[in-house]
Amino acid sequence: MTAKIELAGVKKRFGPKVVLNGVDLAIAPGESMVIIGGSGTGKSVMLKCILGLLTPEAGSIRVDGVSVVGLSARALAAHQARFGMLFQGGALFDSLPVWRNISFALSGPAAERRAAAIDNLARVGLGADVADLRPSELSGGMQKRVALARAIAARPEILFFDEPTTGLDPIMADVINNLIRTLVTDLKITALTITHDMASVRKIADSVAMLYEGRIVWHGPRDGIDSADNPFVDQFVHGRADGPIKMQLRKL
Amino acid sequence: MTGLATTLAHALIALGSVIIALLGSIGRLARFALTALGRMVRPPWYPTQLFEQMLVIGYFSLPVVGLTALFTGSALAQQIYIGGSRFNAAATVPAVTVIGIVRELGPVLGGLMVAGRVSSAMAAEIGTMRVTEQIDALTTLRTDPFRYLVGPRIIAAVLVMPLLVLVSNALGVMGGWLLATGRLGFNSAAYLNTTAQFLKADDVISSMVKAAVFGFFIALMGCYHGYHSSGGAAGVGRATTNAVVSAFILILLSNLIITVIVFGS
Repeated sequence: MTAKIELAGVKKRFGPKVVLNGVDLAIAPGESMVIIGGSGTGKSVMLKCILGLLTPEAGSIRVDGVSVVGLSARALAAHQARFGMLFQGGALFDSLPVWRNISFALSGPAAERRAAAIDNLARVGLGADVADLRPSELSGGMQKRVALARAIAARPEILFFDEPTTGLDPIMADVINNLIRTLVTDLKITALTITHDMASVRKIADSVAMLYEGRIVWHGPRDGIDSADNPFVDQFVHGRADGPIKMQLRKL
Repeated sequence: MTGLATTLAHALIALGSVIIALLGSIGRLARFALTALGRMVRPPWYPTQLFEQMLVIGYFSLPVVGLTALFTGSALAQQIYIGGSRFNAAATVPAVTVIGIVRELGPVLGGLMVAGRVSSAMAAEIGTMRVTEQIDALTTLRTDPFRYLVGPRIIAAVLVMPLLVLVSNALGVMGGWLLATGRLGFNSAAYLNTTAQFLKADDVISSMVKAAVFGFFIALMGCYHGYHSSGGAAGVGRATTNAVVSAFILILLSNLIITVIVFGS
């Protein structure tokens, strides 16, 4: 089967700092893959390269077999229209009410867009009463749900989730994880999530890949992470300070 | 001798680095401006955004621009009266005031006040959108940030600045008239008659051209620095400061160039 998303030898650097150093990864259609890895390992950069927001220096990125690198502006816009993304901080537009945030990418009369927004709010467990509120009037958990509603509103083929549970309490994090799993299954979407929250991994993932120092150091099914014969995965999953993954700490 | 050569080489390297950095900045700014101009002429357009920006830049700047012009016109009339009285030329107050206001002070002070108010706000708003990933979100929501954020701001500023400066000029002249008739003993009708005699269409047109150019730089600087801000709240703060300072410099420089071109001969 052709991979929905395929990365081969992707390299990206910012000045002297090498962020991605030859990433190889394939995601099957309808698969929910979770990328794990510590902060600053290049997870978000990888997502932005796939979206075409950043251009890699080397390697290839293909979606449905079509290369993302070197697309014209129009083709890139068409490529990006296939994706929905839940940003780490929600990235809701402060100046717009909730319903206009959700229906931002939709076209048609305002009444239809508002109805669609309310329908998507219901999908993430929120009522129509929040439709006219501003993002600043919502709690962190509600903002995440609204951002999720916005990400699925245009029914994208592929959904990206960037640290979906960061900053949420464990109960709200579980609510968001359940929502993501349900939406991905119901809407038959290919999903790529980046997180360092192992509860999210166990809930959301079909398969898991670990990114370390700009490379995929392990890739396997979700149930394999506890028995992975890999010291990087083992250290990360169990949250140990000792192991092959070294934190960049300055001497006092 | 070797020491001198080394010092000279270091100085040249430092100078070269500064020139390269400066040329790099100009290149990036020119590329940003050309991208913005290229995209704003092609659909989709966002009339609601444009109208909103015209309101923010034009209507809401009226009080600050108007008060600045009114006070400056009064102060200018007072200074011309004091200076002119030494040479028995106090009667030149209405003529010099209207020329000074319309040719220079109306557009320049109006531009500076709007730059202080609007460039900073644009840089802060777009900068916050950048660091909170709202600009990336726009892209993933099938919306070109240049067409949605930058284009409407530049068009709005270019359209409303001439109107703002017209109001500014009128209030500046009125400030001079108020002080001259209320405090300096000028006859109201004679003052207005002299003002009308010295008010030339070319002056008004050059004033509006300056205003449109200033509007372009005000919006461009606000958008450019906001769009490229990074590093959280501190980065947004830097972008805001840079937007205002660079808008001020470009307003004063372009004013000098236009003045020399229009009035130099």
